[in-house]
Amino acid sequence: MPEQPPLPVDLIRRLPATFGPALRDQFAQWNLLFSAERRQLQAQLDWLSRLPREEFDRLFAPLAAIESRMALPGWNSNAATLGVRDTGILARSPAYPQWRAEVERVFTRIDEATAPSAGLQGLRRLVVCVLPSGIPLQDQPLWPDLAREGAWLPLERPFGGMLPSFGAAIATRTAAPELDRDERTWVIECDSRFSALPGVPVLSWAELDALRREFLRRLNAVQRDLRSVDQTGEELRRADIGRLTPPAVAANARVREFLRGVLLSGNGSLVFPNSFVEWGASEALRRAQPQALIACFGIREKLKPFSSLVLFEDQNRANPVADQEDATGSLVDALLLSRYVYLAAQRVACYPGHTLTLLAACDSNRVLALGAPGADLPHAPAAAEDLAGLALRWLD
Amino acid sequence: MTRRDLSRMLAAVLAGRLPRALPGAAMPARRMVLITLGGIRRQESWSPAGLRYIPHLYHDLLPQSLFYPYAHNEGVTSHFNTISSILTGVWQHVDDWGSEKPANPTLFQHLQTQTHCGPQQTWVVTSNKQLTANISPGVNVILSKQLMVEAVERIINGQSQRSRLERQQILDEMTALLQTDYERIGWGVPSESAFRDPAVKQTLLAALASFIHGPDAPASGDDLTFLIAREVLSRLAPALLMVNFSDMEVAHSGSYSLHLGGIGRSDRLCHSMWQFIQSSPALRDKTTLVILNEFGRDPDGSSTNGFFNHRTDTESCRMAWAMVLGPAAGAPKVVEREIRQIDLTPSMAAWMGVDCGRLPGVILPEFHA
Repeated sequence: MPEQPPLPVDLIRRLPATFGPALRDQFAQWNLLFSAERRQLQAQLDWLSRLPREEFDRLFAPLAAIESRMALPGWNSNAATLGVRDTGILARSPAYPQWRAEVERVFTRIDEATAPSAGLQGLRRLVVCVLPSGIPLQDQPLWPDLAREGAWLPLERPFGGMLPSFGAAIATRTAAPELDRDERTWVIECDSRFSALPGVPVLSWAELDALRREFLRRLNAVQRDLRSVDQTGEELRRADIGRLTPPAVAANARVREFLRGVLLSGNGSLVFPNSFVEWGASEALRRAQPQALIACFGIREKLKPFSSLVLFEDQNRANPVADQEDATGSLVDALLLSRYVYLAAQRVACYPGHTLTLLAACDSNRVLALGAPGADLPHAPAAAEDLAGLALRWLD
Repeated sequence: MTRRDLSRMLAAVLAGRLPRALPGAAMPARRMVLITLGGIRRQESWSPAGLRYIPHLYHDLLPQSLFYPYAHNEGVTSHFNTISSILTGVWQHVDDWGSEKPANPTLFQHLQTQTHCGPQQTWVVTSNKQLTANISPGVNVILSKQLMVEAVERIINGQSQRSRLERQQILDEMTALLQTDYERIGWGVPSESAFRDPAVKQTLLAALASFIHGPDAPASGDDLTFLIAREVLSRLAPALLMVNFSDMEVAHSGSYSLHLGGIGRSDRLCHSMWQFIQSSPALRDKTTLVILNEFGRDPDGSSTNGFFNHRTDTESCRMAWAMVLGPAAGAPKVVEREIRQIDLTPSMAAWMGVDCGRLPGVILPEFHA
């Protein structure tokens, strides 16, 4: 794993003002970055520091010009990370669309130059998304858009019965030696089916109940002004959450802080279990870049009258109405969100062209396979060991 | 006797006497109801796959409307900035959380200044908590959903003597909030906001009671917003009423099914509003209804997590639509030409006989057919 390089103060000074806080934040968090992030950051810094002055200036000049028109409130390269108010100022600037487009252009250029050295590009990868048992699959076709790009694999029996052994086979495989423990296999799940898997980061919505409630309790106490939002956010970022997480998560500082980031970055990850799975999986693909990722969706409860207005709340606390599962709504949610996990992988350079994606439903006896031209897909109904064997051969 | 006591007493006195419209107030010759909807993408609305989510807009309202399917949002695709842009006719770049006023006068202000109409003629009823009273100083603003949220939160958090989320308890809590604490509700609502006339409070309380004890067991913030807006329209018949529906914004929490449910609900409520206007002899021939979405949402596969957000500089996020019904619409027509949302401001103003001065937007020629 790359060691922490010295803070490139001179480089930061030459970068546009909005880059300074982000870069400083990355360095401050170095010990909590995953190996893929460290390699990427190191490669970007190496490339930028070697870039001839003229080219460097040419790369950033349009961005610096846009920033000079944005009237940013006294930011400089020494600023710490940006708060809610700061990002609000940035986002409502008339020049924000141009700024965002220019940032994208700059990073595209940097990534093109550094991606080959930053990532384990040739490695074959696996992404698996699973819809839960008990949802009305007959209500609508499964992933009709993606199905046109892939192939359905018949199974001997519904996938749900194969899932435990399939997941265990993936998680306990012998991975390539260049991968560290957090780059091999991740599981993000609604229930706690895989929470006992050893040596694998498993983030289970069900197992995180105490942490979620604590975060919700604190967020519900936020006063309605931006300073209070910033202050509470800062307190939650510093809070000791180890006692509220499963031991395996608490013991792994990078995974623990990753989890904190997922839960505090919105996107419904504190509110709905399937949003947690989608956002957690997407962030794991972007940051940790595991060789294999399994995302298991679930069934959320129906929102209750009145308490449904207050999403950041435990609706059982004061509402006498009994819980009911929303199986139909959960199918709609999980179909789109599993597609989002697939699309999230397509945005990370190491996945497209190297990844077998399996989309499955626990109650269905077929699996949709995507993006695996070299995989030896069976035509006859596959048994559990056949499917696991297929995935393992792909990853080997 | 404190001012609050006086306010309560006046409200009680007036409760039984509130007329259909306030006596002595000049009745406007032309009325406008503007409904803004939160972020709805084209793929979930005006597209072959999306029409099933907006059956009333498509089947019932489109055939009678002047419809602009391409209304571009060139401003900040946040709620407060977009709505204040539509109300001012100038793209606004103010605080997204409603702590600042728009930098230009709104249509409400032009109307008040030029027609000398009182505050009772200008109303905003909104589901969105970001739409604070700063949206247009001097206007009556009802943060309807926020009122209910506040009541529910107070019960849940034990800040009230009430303890259960049962209908009567929620109504009692909302009533207490209205009587004592309304101006604190919302995100930084300044004290100059809210009710200009205490009698209006009673109108609102009647609407709340009807909502809570109504036969359909409604539980959505937009249902409540509709009910209050209809009450305001029915009893006060203002010259300009803006209504905002935002149940579809549950998308920020990632439930696609609930997002679609919110779209369907706003579709139904827009139709109900039009039906209500048409059923009222006092409103029918004088009232123009304009319906538009603020913006779309981010495209699937975007780094901003797709439909969850509305931040990208993409057509999926920026391309909205606008529908005009009633006397300003003329013969039904679909205008394929792309317009800008700020073109609607001078168009609405001109139809109401109000001059907004020089604005970046242009008057849409079809608007006055």
